[in-house]
Amino acid sequence: MTARAHRRRNALTGYALLAPSLFGLTCFLLFPVLVVLWLSFQQWDLISPARFVGLANYVSVLSDPIFGNSLLVTLVFVLIVIPIQTGLGLLAASLLTRGLPGSTILRTIYVLPWICAPLALGVVWNWIFAPTGGALNAILGTRIEWLTDPNLALPAVCAVVIWTNVGYVTLFFMAGLLNIPAHILEAAKLDGAGAVAMFWRIKLPLLRPTMFFVLVTSLISTFQIFDQVYALTGGGPDHRTDLVASHIYSEAFQLFDLGRAAVMAVVLLVILVAVTVAQQLYFRRRTTYDLSV
Amino acid sequence: MAKRSTIIAITVSAAIVVVGGVAAGFGIAGAANSGTKETVTVRLWDDQVAKAYATSFAKFEKANPNITVKTDIVPWANYFTKLRTDIAGNSVDDIFWVNAGNFIDYANNGNLLNITKTFGASAEKAWSPSVVKQYTANGSLWGVPQLADPGIGVFYNTALLKQAGIDPKTISTLHWDPTGKNDTLLPVLEKLTKDANGNNAASPNFDPTKIVQYGYNAANDLNALYINYLGSNGASMQKGDQFTFDSPKGIQAFQYLVDLINKYHVSPSAADTNTDGSFSLNQFTQGKMALFQSGSYNLANIKQGAAFSWGIAGMPAGPAGAISVTNGVVAAANAHTKHPDAVKKVLAWLGSAQGSAAIGATGSASPAVTGAQQVYLDYWKTQNADVSPLYSVLKNGTVQAPQGANWMAAQNAFGPIFEDIFLGRTPVAAGLKQAQDAANAAIK
Repeated sequence: MTARAHRRRNALTGYALLAPSLFGLTCFLLFPVLVVLWLSFQQWDLISPARFVGLANYVSVLSDPIFGNSLLVTLVFVLIVIPIQTGLGLLAASLLTRGLPGSTILRTIYVLPWICAPLALGVVWNWIFAPTGGALNAILGTRIEWLTDPNLALPAVCAVVIWTNVGYVTLFFMAGLLNIPAHILEAAKLDGAGAVAMFWRIKLPLLRPTMFFVLVTSLISTFQIFDQVYALTGGGPDHRTDLVASHIYSEAFQLFDLGRAAVMAVVLLVILVAVTVAQQLYFRRRTTYDLSV
Repeated sequence: MAKRSTIIAITVSAAIVVVGGVAAGFGIAGAANSGTKETVTVRLWDDQVAKAYATSFAKFEKANPNITVKTDIVPWANYFTKLRTDIAGNSVDDIFWVNAGNFIDYANNGNLLNITKTFGASAEKAWSPSVVKQYTANGSLWGVPQLADPGIGVFYNTALLKQAGIDPKTISTLHWDPTGKNDTLLPVLEKLTKDANGNNAASPNFDPTKIVQYGYNAANDLNALYINYLGSNGASMQKGDQFTFDSPKGIQAFQYLVDLINKYHVSPSAADTNTDGSFSLNQFTQGKMALFQSGSYNLANIKQGAAFSWGIAGMPAGPAGAISVTNGVVAAANAHTKHPDAVKKVLAWLGSAQGSAAIGATGSASPAVTGAQQVYLDYWKTQNADVSPLYSVLKNGTVQAPQGANWMAAQNAFGPIFEDIFLGRTPVAAGLKQAQDAANAAIK
């Protein structure tokens, strides 16, 4: 067999193996994105024929103060959730990698909320937060309207989301921490590094690739959160928890304005791509240590 | 090595194609092998009526061995969202329930079978005239009437009334007055509301943060509460398709309800009822609420859930009398069904006294087929429940039920504002103006 034929066969094999993934990616990602782009120029209520309206949906959405509020609420939500969730995940991972008794059980317990259906968790938390007969108020011995008080609703939703996701974040940080070669930590110890210095100067810099992955995936998933908000507050009270994904759902499936909902989805896509590229540029500029040697 | 990988790749791809093909083949074979046997699916939101349908369809299938009828229960909370997406995706059931606020969109878009054309105008004589009227648009009826809710009434807990020294017979005579001059309802509700220390709401020592027994279920509830308060004060929710609740009398009616919750504390906080539509029903069936204003749609739930003696009284009258809403539900048919003949047979069965008798026989709902209504009344008689107040209220006249294309969009526009009004966070007058503007913009 000639080298050329060998290369061709290799390439064909590669394409054949890639085909199922490519099929999935095209059908369930690229095609829906194209459909959403097409929809953003149409007026459609799901039952009557779609009608081309040019940029009218874009003008309507981008000048809509309620959508502007939704973007702002989402930004605040992300700024609360991501730092707390990442910090707690890092702390939990640091403690769980110390080999303390019961760590194995705790790892499983931490991840349990993340593997549960978000909508079911939302319903359970609704009971916990209920003003009358709710578990939280019963424990506190008071009556607080957690989900209908405009000042408390967003923090309450944030708390549920952080509680759900912290186990997932912890898992990745644990993997990152366990991947740090023992000889590096021993060398640092011999050089007199204490626990704090060890964390800030050795572990954290070596966790940079993990941190990048965790931040990118958390940020994207946090921007897209819908289930918990739908089950807990439905975007209320007074649009205080009206996150973009929840707003898109409401526009599409309660108001049946698919065109406007598609524009909102396009805006969310643009924001997510921009944030991901910015994160990538930020982390690329920083040194990444090769732990393979 | 490459050769081996190629073989594996080709084998995997071939397996996917074969498995897919076989699965698709089964689907085709399934349809082909069905022969003349057809399955008609019926979608509804009420699990109590679904049980009655099971009995009814068992009889139908006996008489029509080539047709199987399957019911599909979709919870009320997502019913109309799922219906719309399923119609868009061409995966909707052959027959499905619709309500007055939603049928017109589908009728206008050609999604529904025209009942008048299918069965002739004479068929309508067998059905409740108010429901026929409610679902007639563009000169045609768009669904076979199934439920005809009579009016709204007040369910009472006999023991709680007795404890407060109130004669159940007096409940039907209560009246409310937004000016407070001629109001006999509020003093009764105050007597019936108690805190953890045993003080009632009229007592200066009453602690509204520790209520253990509510007097009444004033809440952001269109069908049971505010549309009837609007009607009883000479106002209305809509005139035609236009929303008209923002009127001086409309503001008075809403203010009265909001005050029952936030000023007099005789009803649960909207923080409880806005997010949990069953909160008041559960409080009543648990014996923690004395009066529960609702309709026949909760009769079966109360019978099942309440382990105490209860009764039904007429709803409180307002300055314009006790004016209730009356509503119906129809079974509409998918205009593009693959089984048109079988669907017609099932619809005809649902519209017959024999087919609808099961609905009334279990007391689950009041049938809209007039020939089956007596069965319903007889059932509740055997249960020692006098449902006549739910019917007699209709003699006073009725308030227009929700209607209009884009009703759902309108409801989504005014809904969040109403939630804030009932929470006491938005002043009633300002909130109603904002809500009405939003609702009218959405429904046009």
